[in-house]
Amino acid sequence: MDIRLLRSSDLPLIQHANLENLPENYFMKYYLYHALSWPQLSYVAVDVSRPKKTPYDYPKIVGYVLAKMEEEPTDGIQHGHITSLSVMRTHRKLGIAEKLMRQSQLAMVETFGAKYVSLHVRVSNKAAIHLYSKTLGFDREKIEEKYYADGEDAHCMKLDLSSIKEQVAAFAGGPESEDDASEAEDEGEPVGDVGKAGDEGKQIPSRPKETKRKVKVGRPLGVAGLVEKDESKHP
Amino acid sequence: MPQPLSAKENSLFRQVIRNYEDKQYKRGLKAAEQILKKNPKHGDTMAMKALIINQQGNTDEAFTLGKQALMADMKSHICWHVYGLLYRHQKNFEEAIKAYKSALKLEPDSLQIQRDLAFLQVQMRDYQGYIQSRTAMLQARSQVRQNWTALAVAHHLAGDLTQAETVLTKYEESVKVPPSKLDFENSEAVMYKNTIIAEQGDYQRALEHLESIAKSNLDRLAVMELRAEYLTKLEKKEEAVKAYRALLNRNAEHPEYYNKLIEVMAIPAEDTAAKKAIYDEYAEKNPRSDAAKRLPLDFISGDVFREAAKKYLTFMLDKGVPSTFANLKHLYTDSSKKEALGSLAHEYLEAKKSDAGDAKTDDPFKGEGAALYYLAQHYNYHLSRDLTKAMEFVNRGIEKAPDNVEFQMTKARIVKHTGNTQKASEEMEKARNLDLKDRYINTKAAKYQLRNNETEKGLETVGLFTRNDSPAGPLNDLLDMQCIWFMTEDGEAQVRKGNVGLALKRFHTVYNIFDVWQEDQFDFHSFSLRKGQIRAYIDMVRWEDHVRDHPFYSRAALGAVKLYLDMHDGKTLTDGANGDDKNGDAAERKKAAKKARKAEREAAEKAAKQDPNKPKAAVDETKKKDDDPDGLKLAATTEPLVEATKFLVHLLTYTPPRTSRRNSPVSRFTCAEKYVLALGCLNAALALDASHPTVHEHTIRFLQAIRSKMASLPSKVQEVIKSEFTAIAPSTDLEEFNDEFLAKHKGSVPHAIAAIKMKELVDEEVDQASVEKELAGLLAAPGITFEDAQTILTVLRGSRSKELDGFKKKAAEKWPEVTTFA
Repeated sequence: MDIRLLRSSDLPLIQHANLENLPENYFMKYYLYHALSWPQLSYVAVDVSRPKKTPYDYPKIVGYVLAKMEEEPTDGIQHGHITSLSVMRTHRKLGIAEKLMRQSQLAMVETFGAKYVSLHVRVSNKAAIHLYSKTLGFDREKIEEKYYADGEDAHCMKLDLSSIKEQVAAFAGGPESEDDASEAEDEGEPVGDVGKAGDEGKQIPSRPKETKRKVKVGRPLGVAGLVEKDESKHP
Repeated sequence: MPQPLSAKENSLFRQVIRNYEDKQYKRGLKAAEQILKKNPKHGDTMAMKALIINQQGNTDEAFTLGKQALMADMKSHICWHVYGLLYRHQKNFEEAIKAYKSALKLEPDSLQIQRDLAFLQVQMRDYQGYIQSRTAMLQARSQVRQNWTALAVAHHLAGDLTQAETVLTKYEESVKVPPSKLDFENSEAVMYKNTIIAEQGDYQRALEHLESIAKSNLDRLAVMELRAEYLTKLEKKEEAVKAYRALLNRNAEHPEYYNKLIEVMAIPAEDTAAKKAIYDEYAEKNPRSDAAKRLPLDFISGDVFREAAKKYLTFMLDKGVPSTFANLKHLYTDSSKKEALGSLAHEYLEAKKSDAGDAKTDDPFKGEGAALYYLAQHYNYHLSRDLTKAMEFVNRGIEKAPDNVEFQMTKARIVKHTGNTQKASEEMEKARNLDLKDRYINTKAAKYQLRNNETEKGLETVGLFTRNDSPAGPLNDLLDMQCIWFMTEDGEAQVRKGNVGLALKRFHTVYNIFDVWQEDQFDFHSFSLRKGQIRAYIDMVRWEDHVRDHPFYSRAALGAVKLYLDMHDGKTLTDGANGDDKNGDAAERKKAAKKARKAEREAAEKAAKQDPNKPKAAVDETKKKDDDPDGLKLAATTEPLVEATKFLVHLLTYTPPRTSRRNSPVSRFTCAEKYVLALGCLNAALALDASHPTVHEHTIRFLQAIRSKMASLPSKVQEVIKSEFTAIAPSTDLEEFNDEFLAKHKGSVPHAIAAIKMKELVDEEVDQASVEKELAGLLAAPGITFEDAQTILTVLRGSRSKELDGFKKKAAEKWPEVTTFA
């Protein structure tokens, strides 16, 4: 097993894994939108032991986490969101989901200063709920009624990421000299501060200012259209 | 020259543009009509109207109007711009670029036109053009960092790393106030610059630059990984060791970190003990790490292997990890490891049985159950196959845990390997019924149904998990969600059933999905600059450049090529090649066609009820109208070779020389008399595996073809063939060559099949009937497998041989469980 960052070339097999395993599916552009907006946050589990038939074979993806930052958080707090997480049935019980999630959460804090991470899960999905609450420490926030297309309710779950901040400090410079370590310690603070309300625009400008009120006869709908897609169309 | 309008109409025109942008097409049209009533030849208004009509789905009408607009006002940049947009919509990018350029000439300061042009240029990989556009855009707005980064990207993609770096540096130097540590755009831009320095091969400078930016950079992992890489390249071993250890502390499941650590520690490859010690160290540190425990099994051997494998297997089986076999099966290529793992699993099982006394395992899949599961897979795996034993173990498992999906699923797989697709499909269906909420097992069940040619049932099964709010049923959702596996499997099943139209339809769908994927990148040319994630963008562009080298593409493309070639050879009956159940097929097709027509009607009705001011739904509906749902038009093509080439071009451009992939091009080009191309394919195949049966067939076909045609070929072609075709002497006696091949591979049925097929070509005394007879006679050959017999069956079926029925009957007697012979 290889747990590593997602690359663009993984996307066809990620999409395939998603279609094989989960009822909530997305077209390629939605995956690209994640991979190109928050490339640090999505991870894959690759079956490296699978013998290659040709030197050009694509690595077999047996699990993935597709994650994002909430673009316009309603509570004004920077936070991550898990769009989709899946592990092939044939590769369960290896702790893959947990390992994928931990890598993603670490990057959410380090790179984007996330304060917490949220996700939705079907109320009937006992195994996933168990993973999120028992193994990963998520709390059940509330129930969102009829969240899924087939009418099923979703648990909205949240995990506070402040404990990861300490981890970030520890990983920051690796086992470096004392000097570096203390520098790294300093790093933790400002990263966290990004989360302050009203500050988010500064870090990740979500819309270009120049195109705001232009006479544009070009493509009427860009990738920005996908942002709404997430909450309205899907799962 | 802009045609003047009155003040009132001018404001109306602005409204048209606004309406268009807000997608209020109906209102926009109304306003446009109002202007045109008074000024019927107002080019700009006509152009905007065309644009709106186009957006509503009437492409042809839009195009006509767009042209008329241009005729009315050749000097309007709006007309040219719209003309370009219409071309772009038709995906005629070359023409679109030309139109944009004309528009830009008339309105050189228009940022919008310049942008549209620039993004098309990069989409078309016209990097020199893109550099030009980007330079102009930078000059217009040099205060925006994006524009600097974009120009650097243009140089980078064009291969000019130095220039790319210079542009980035120039911007950095122009900034007076140092950017905030939390400025994400800056953080990413400096990392981008760093990778450009490294790409130039100057690792020393890359390292220095990285260390100068490392502390404040937000992409911590990238900093750590790049630093470790540079240190390694610069042979700063001690620091590199530290760097890789830091990375392993962060993620102990990434094999590359271990490999690199061992490399920089300068542990010799043969010192497996020292290597293993590294992994052991991390296994101890991370009790939950699988990589640290498993990876040493790859390189250790003998007793050390046995001991470590035992430890690993015991740990995994005690825990009841279902993927244990999947995690180890790659070791089976080493026969001693294969034996060891098999016997260890048996030992484990025995041990568990003897201490059955303390059966406190409430989970039937732990311990003994896990061992049974392992052994069932072990005996099902092609390198250690014994299907009787596999069945025995899986049945014991099912007895122990009748509700367990894994056992039942494995049983279906074992049955599949006996060739009984019917029973396999039934067994997988049982597995599905054990967990109706799990899509994975649902997918497997559908796939097994398709493999058994139960296409309608397969669709019904997948349909249990698709969004079925579209009147066209589950297929629509599968299309929207780009479900390639289903299209491919269903297409292949339709081929087996002889439904050429539907099969082509599915393969074309896959082709189109790849088109969409290529088109998808378009929006990201601007989006990524805004987001500032430049490295990810570059990674995407490079992937898109070879997106069709994916096996998802080649599998469907080969399916289509094969069908088209058969059509060219006149082999395929549109009525179903599978002579036996012709009636059933026809009936099913009729039923399917009726169903599709009904769905189409309903969709049209629904679309009619749509509020036209909800453009999204309206546009979607028009997009989804398929005028050839059953692929009948595709199947009616008079130019199958042209169609085949469409699929092939990409295979030849991207696809690695893999025997099965390169084979069909050979025959295709031989029959189309494109000998030079055919030779290229053939040589690639020969280099890969000259003794492969299919390669043998193609060698003979090729030589035969050029012998009779050589004199009539252009002298240049003759020259190329003479110099490049070196595999066998051109004067070789083909009959002898074929006989030698047969003798050399005596005992191998696949080789015999190829040689016998070729007899007809190389030996004048042999006719088709005797070839068929000899092929049918292979049934008595020692070592023949049911797969070999299936190959023969396909050949006999293709030539509608008299031997067909007798062969099938005898094969059915020999392999009563194999569905194809039943």
